[in-house]
Amino acid sequence: MTAPAWLDVLNETLDACAAHGRADLAERLRRRRDQQAPGTRIAVVGFPKQGKGYLLNALLNAPVCAVGDASTPAVPTEIGYAHDPAATLVGHARERVPVDDLAKELEVRPPGSLRRVEVGLPRELLGTGLVLVDTPAIGDPRSPRTAATLDVLADAHAVILVSDATQELQPAELALARHIRTWCPALVLALTKIDVSPDWRELAARNRAALSETGVVADVFPVSATVRQAAAKAGDAGLNGRSGFPELLNWVGEQAARPIERTRALAAAVSVRAAAVELVESLQARLNAVSQDSGIDQVTLLHQAQRRTEELRRQNVRWQNLLSDEITDLVSDAEYDLRERTRTIVRHIDRTFDEGDPAQIWPDFRTWLEENLADAVETNYNWVSDRSTWIAHAVATGFGARYGQAPELPLTGSGVDSIPEVGTPKIERFKIGQKLFTGLRGSYGGVLMFGLVTSLAGLPLINPVSLGAGVAFATKSVRDEGGMRLQRRQALAKAAAQRHVDDVFIRFSKEIKDEVRQVQRRLRDHFTALSDELAEELTRQRELIIAGSAERDRRTQQVKREIDRLAALHRKAGALGSGAAPRRELSA
Amino acid sequence: MTALDVRELLSDAAALYRDRPPAVAMLRECLERLEEPLKVGFAGTPGTGKSTLVSALAEWPTRALRDLDLFDTPALAEHVDATVRLVRHLEPDELAGARPAGGSAFARQSAVNSVLVLGRADEVGAGRIDALLTAKQLARRAWREDRNCAGFQGVIAVAGQLGYAGRALRDDEFEVLRALAAVSRAELERYLLSVDSFVDDQFPVRIPPESRKHLVSRFGLYGVRLAITLIRTGCESRMKLSAELVHRSGLGDLRDTLAGCFVARAEALKARTAVLRLENLLAADPRSQSDRLVARVERFAAAAHDFRELRLIADIRGGRTALSGEVAEEATRLLGVQGLAPTERLGLEPDSGPAEIHAGAESALVRWRHDAEREDAAHTERAAARVIVRSVEGLLSLFVA
Repeated sequence: MTAPAWLDVLNETLDACAAHGRADLAERLRRRRDQQAPGTRIAVVGFPKQGKGYLLNALLNAPVCAVGDASTPAVPTEIGYAHDPAATLVGHARERVPVDDLAKELEVRPPGSLRRVEVGLPRELLGTGLVLVDTPAIGDPRSPRTAATLDVLADAHAVILVSDATQELQPAELALARHIRTWCPALVLALTKIDVSPDWRELAARNRAALSETGVVADVFPVSATVRQAAAKAGDAGLNGRSGFPELLNWVGEQAARPIERTRALAAAVSVRAAAVELVESLQARLNAVSQDSGIDQVTLLHQAQRRTEELRRQNVRWQNLLSDEITDLVSDAEYDLRERTRTIVRHIDRTFDEGDPAQIWPDFRTWLEENLADAVETNYNWVSDRSTWIAHAVATGFGARYGQAPELPLTGSGVDSIPEVGTPKIERFKIGQKLFTGLRGSYGGVLMFGLVTSLAGLPLINPVSLGAGVAFATKSVRDEGGMRLQRRQALAKAAAQRHVDDVFIRFSKEIKDEVRQVQRRLRDHFTALSDELAEELTRQRELIIAGSAERDRRTQQVKREIDRLAALHRKAGALGSGAAPRRELSA
Repeated sequence: MTALDVRELLSDAAALYRDRPPAVAMLRECLERLEEPLKVGFAGTPGTGKSTLVSALAEWPTRALRDLDLFDTPALAEHVDATVRLVRHLEPDELAGARPAGGSAFARQSAVNSVLVLGRADEVGAGRIDALLTAKQLARRAWREDRNCAGFQGVIAVAGQLGYAGRALRDDEFEVLRALAAVSRAELERYLLSVDSFVDDQFPVRIPPESRKHLVSRFGLYGVRLAITLIRTGCESRMKLSAELVHRSGLGDLRDTLAGCFVARAEALKARTAVLRLENLLAADPRSQSDRLVARVERFAAAAHDFRELRLIADIRGGRTALSGEVAEEATRLLGVQGLAPTERLGLEPDSGPAEIHAGAESALVRWRHDAEREDAAHTERAAARVIVRSVEGLLSLFVA
């Protein structure tokens, strides 16, 4: 047996569905393809309390389905032909129960333990392999019952939608009808309970109008199970005619009489068309999204990019000027600051050694000088580093908030530890021997001067007067010598301290200058790189804008080709299922 | 807490919000509505028989419903003080949709203002003659067992169309029905099978097709069948048949529930609506001095004993307490199910003197206080007994005054 013609079309559509990420559609098509039903499957669906059970029982003239106050079972019941009446509960295992006990058995089963129920009945109607499927009532879209019913619909070749004559078709029922008619080749509406409704004729007309308004092709069969039951009991053919069931049975018979291959082809054709339509809708949505993107004018985008480039150029000049000005200022300010600080120290040195004796205070003075110098250098350095950071931020701010990230500055520390020690000047002390010698030298003149004068008075050269003068002269010369030596020491100490301060100043003013230059280089490099990056990005954007339109065109073309292909599949499927009612054709 | 306090509360709130004319207008409306009849809204999806039921009840010259304003499908929940919610079937999905909405703590605690009605009860059981009985059982079971029904003051099966037709039964309609009942059952049976056959030209009785059409459109086929059966089994007068139809249709049950749960508690329910609207206003537009009003609203909520009585009545009748039989009967009576007068609560003759009332109340108090303090009883049982004790204490406080 050769593969049927519909199989290729179906497979191609299935591939397209899978390729475009519509696994749900692909799954439905796969079920249509792989279904191996021996006969037509007709599903009976409807919302709760519409009389599904009564309808099926009346169709089969047998109490198969639960009716009335008992709620409908949560699993589908498949009713097919069997020589002897039998019911099988299909769960993890298959279990046969008598048909008459079915309702009782179903009530005691825990929910979820069954998948479906199979019932066999010796009815002529079912002889062709026809299977009628009673489904759980449709309700809450999230409930497992509704899911089970929709699952049955995926395999059904025809559907009887049940709605009672006490109320018009509700929006939810119309939506359901639309869904069924999209995926199933045949749908009829059974309008039940016409026995209790005085105005069922108007209602049937209104329902027909509502269905065709929704775009659903479906016949409406008004029926009454009560009348049919009474007719069966009385054997009254006329009454049976008035129950409306003969027409419905006719329709069922027609569905069952069609060869199964033909039925499957029809179902496949409808499913392919439904899948194609849905897929095209999602592709069309994608297409719309793409064309909405291109809604913004290319020229506008290019203009924007151009404006941004110019802005960047102006910005470059701005930040370079800012940086060089600030750095020049910083260098001169830093030098001035350091000089000011060292000058203060020098003034203090002068004052100290104008009065103090280096021989006594030098060790204390040395500590003081070292501490103050280190302090001055440190403070100056901190000030410079603060200002450098500020400059970095000022420049970064010019680049705007997005790029306003100042770089890490190469500040290595003040280097205060490397200040050399203060050299101790050569301080000569006035020792006791020297004092003695100087005293003797001074006393010599005094003794001689007064000894000569007193010798005129007949006194010896060495006498109390000359000795007293000698002592006075010795004391004076020792004091004079001491004063001179002190001045010398002070001058020496001053010179040594000033020299040290000068050394430190020269060295650190150079270091600070170097540091600032490092910072300048670092900032220049960083912001140059950033501005290069921005310029490059803008160039890329411009290129993208120019290239983007070409790419978009290409994608649009691709989607359009795909839509054309699906439209062709849709047409082919239409030709296959020419028995199905004509529907609107797809176009890209 | 009395209606007077609510009025004072509303006036004080109006003073607080005097700079906002819409709020003042709303509060004034609340005040005015306290003087008006209780407003009952009928809600439900189309096709549940709302308008039929509203007209059946609205035109009823019965004392029990004298002080009610009935509204078909109110636009806003706050326009009505109580709600009758209709469903067509007692299906889980429909019941879940009918569940009263939540709201503030006070709104939930005092949510004793809705009744669930299974409209079109005559459609239950595919029009068998015992359909209404089945519907009543289903409603009762749903009230007792379904979680979605626990928030209602009652679940009542009503055949609105039949009840309406039965209540307003006319003499000519009764004559036609009697003529039909006179025909033998076997002969008539096939013509009562469907509406089509009932208005068929070959009808065995000489009744014009127009009257038959009128009859079936007014009573429904089920109603016609029920009325004929009732006439055959003894309802020979129009009054008798009318009363029986009203009783069987559940319209009587609905009337009694509305009277007991809504009309008798009209003051409390109207106050509830006003306080809820005030609560919303205070939450939506808090002012610096509104704290004190909020506290007063909370005090009102805590002191409102009516809601607790109604809630407990519903729980006892819905089988959600351990009380049953005569004890449950006495409990609901003390809670005011048969009327709020002391004699009605205590089950005494209407002309009983103060001494008898005092003695009856004392003895009830002793019994229920004992129950309220029993160590071995469950917490919920003791809580229920405490509510009843509080009701009886209310009776005794009349004597103190």
